[in-house]
Amino acid sequence: MKLSSGDEAADVRIEGESALLDGRRVTFEASRRDGRLEAIRIGEDVFRVRVAREKERVFVWCAGEVREFHRAGRRAARMAEVPGGLVAPMPGLVRRIVAKAGKSIARGDVILILEAMKMEHAIRAPREGILMKIFHREGDLVEAGTALAEIQ
Amino acid sequence: MIRSLLIANRGEIAVRVARTALEMGIEPVGVYAEADAGAFHVGRMARAVSLGPGTPLETYLSIPRILEAAREARTDALHPGYGFLSESAAFARAVETAGLTWVGPPAAAMEQMGDKLAARRRARRAGVPIVPGTDKAETDEGAIAKKAAEIGYPILVKPSAGGGGKGMTLVETPEGLPAALEEARHLAEATFGDSRVYLEKLLVAPRHIEFQIFGDRQGNVVHLYERECSVQRRHQKIVEETPSRVLDARLRNAMGRAAVEISRAVGYVGAGTVEFLLDERRNFYFLEMNTRLQVEHPITEETLGLDLVRAQIEVAAGAPLAPAWREGRLQPQGHAIELRLYAEDPATFLPRAGRVLAFELPSGPGVRVDAGVEEGSLVGLDYDPLLAKLVISGPDRSSCIARAHRALEDWVVLGVETNKALLSAVIDSKEFISGDYATDFVPRLTLASPRIPDAAWIAATLSFSDSKTGDVAVSSGEPWDAATGWRSGR
Repeated sequence: MKLSSGDEAADVRIEGESALLDGRRVTFEASRRDGRLEAIRIGEDVFRVRVAREKERVFVWCAGEVREFHRAGRRAARMAEVPGGLVAPMPGLVRRIVAKAGKSIARGDVILILEAMKMEHAIRAPREGILMKIFHREGDLVEAGTALAEIQ
Repeated sequence: MIRSLLIANRGEIAVRVARTALEMGIEPVGVYAEADAGAFHVGRMARAVSLGPGTPLETYLSIPRILEAAREARTDALHPGYGFLSESAAFARAVETAGLTWVGPPAAAMEQMGDKLAARRRARRAGVPIVPGTDKAETDEGAIAKKAAEIGYPILVKPSAGGGGKGMTLVETPEGLPAALEEARHLAEATFGDSRVYLEKLLVAPRHIEFQIFGDRQGNVVHLYERECSVQRRHQKIVEETPSRVLDARLRNAMGRAAVEISRAVGYVGAGTVEFLLDERRNFYFLEMNTRLQVEHPITEETLGLDLVRAQIEVAAGAPLAPAWREGRLQPQGHAIELRLYAEDPATFLPRAGRVLAFELPSGPGVRVDAGVEEGSLVGLDYDPLLAKLVISGPDRSSCIARAHRALEDWVVLGVETNKALLSAVIDSKEFISGDYATDFVPRLTLASPRIPDAAWIAATLSFSDSKTGDVAVSSGEPWDAATGWRSGR
């Protein structure tokens, strides 16, 4: 199974209580209570863990840190579900329009500034293309999920 | 005599107020927007009243709806919490007109401090230093430019009706002034319905230190020491501590006295907070007054061993401050740190939404958590993204830091991304440990990204391939060794 978390990725195969991590063999013992994973023991080290899964995401608390894991390839597939569209990630006020419609833009270019919950958030182009249209004017209130701009 | 209290808020503060009400034998009555019917705070009340459907503006921020709820619930007092309508003088008046006891300061005091220009003039008249700037809303561009040159760049253009770091515009050079003024007025009008703005010198790397003050109806006003609030991102506090490392007895006295003077000047009653900036040469300046209970009030409670919400309710009912308060016999003990857990990306500070899939609180000596969510809670984007406050207390600062580190590690929050890693980075940083930090310190922090341990990869893989590992798992029915939790040899 190919997994990713943040910038890291690994190919993990598990057979019984033996795991292959990118080809490296790691022997472990899994401890559960009422079916819930509570700890992973590797050699002398015991790692307390909590896991929760929500569809294609798994959250793991381990060694004091929380991480989100995805199955490789699936996340990219999900991002592509909005063809040409860029939607507001949260309800807010269109504070400033930065990019110009009709111009070409690079991935990461700021299209507009959305103000929400006392903070300003730069809405950036998810990929390069032509910015066809910006659907709002400065001062407009937008709901989460509202289309903000179209990139072709 | 207060028998029942309407808590016109949600999240952790509604729960925190309800707890004190229950301890005082007062019935806490909650309110909720329809979409919030299953929210954590609702279940912590003796009973709760619906505010109906709609946006926050139509529910928690609607004066008529809240008053209707109070009538329906037949409560005899109202606590506004913080945020929402807590600093609305119009709301305070409407609550009293409706015959309810308002657990907050007098509307007139709120008005005077709510107008930041009026507050600056008040402070100056009370002999309290203010940040160099204007205290009139000038409209003549020439006069403003002249004044700006006197103050010296860089300058902040601030909305008179604003506060809390909202709607400020930075001007670095005289050439930038006209455009900044236009932008700031436009923003002030759009955000607060009041286009008046004023100028304030931008202090470089100041410390943000506030004083808790408390007044009663008998005219007593005291301060309950300081809170150091310099750990901020985007002008919003994320970690606070008391006492401040930079104040000595002389400076603490001078600032405390100034905070009391300013509060007395507006006839303040109840809990309030006077915020100051402290520059590198240890000059202090009045910034603003928050006429409500502050988010970070628990650290004051921990070091002084008192309950500020109880005192608010007692004072609202007409009781004078306790003799120990009036006679200055309160002495802080030890140290306390608050860490705010927000549903947000720890690097970009973008708010995050989702369902809390697991929520296990840290515990142990000196660990208090004021939480507004539980396992299963939905975190939306309509409200403040504050999930919970971790309040650490201990005999001294270094024991608090070690305790905070341990408690953060123990804290399990799955399902919604939080700023937990940022909080850890703050308390582990050499700046925070040394105590030598100012408001510009968080943006310069780099988040450590330790290698993902093998155990985490394995746990994630088990979860993806086995439906039994998750919290939503079905019953196991497998032969576990119940005594240790380890699998029996197989």
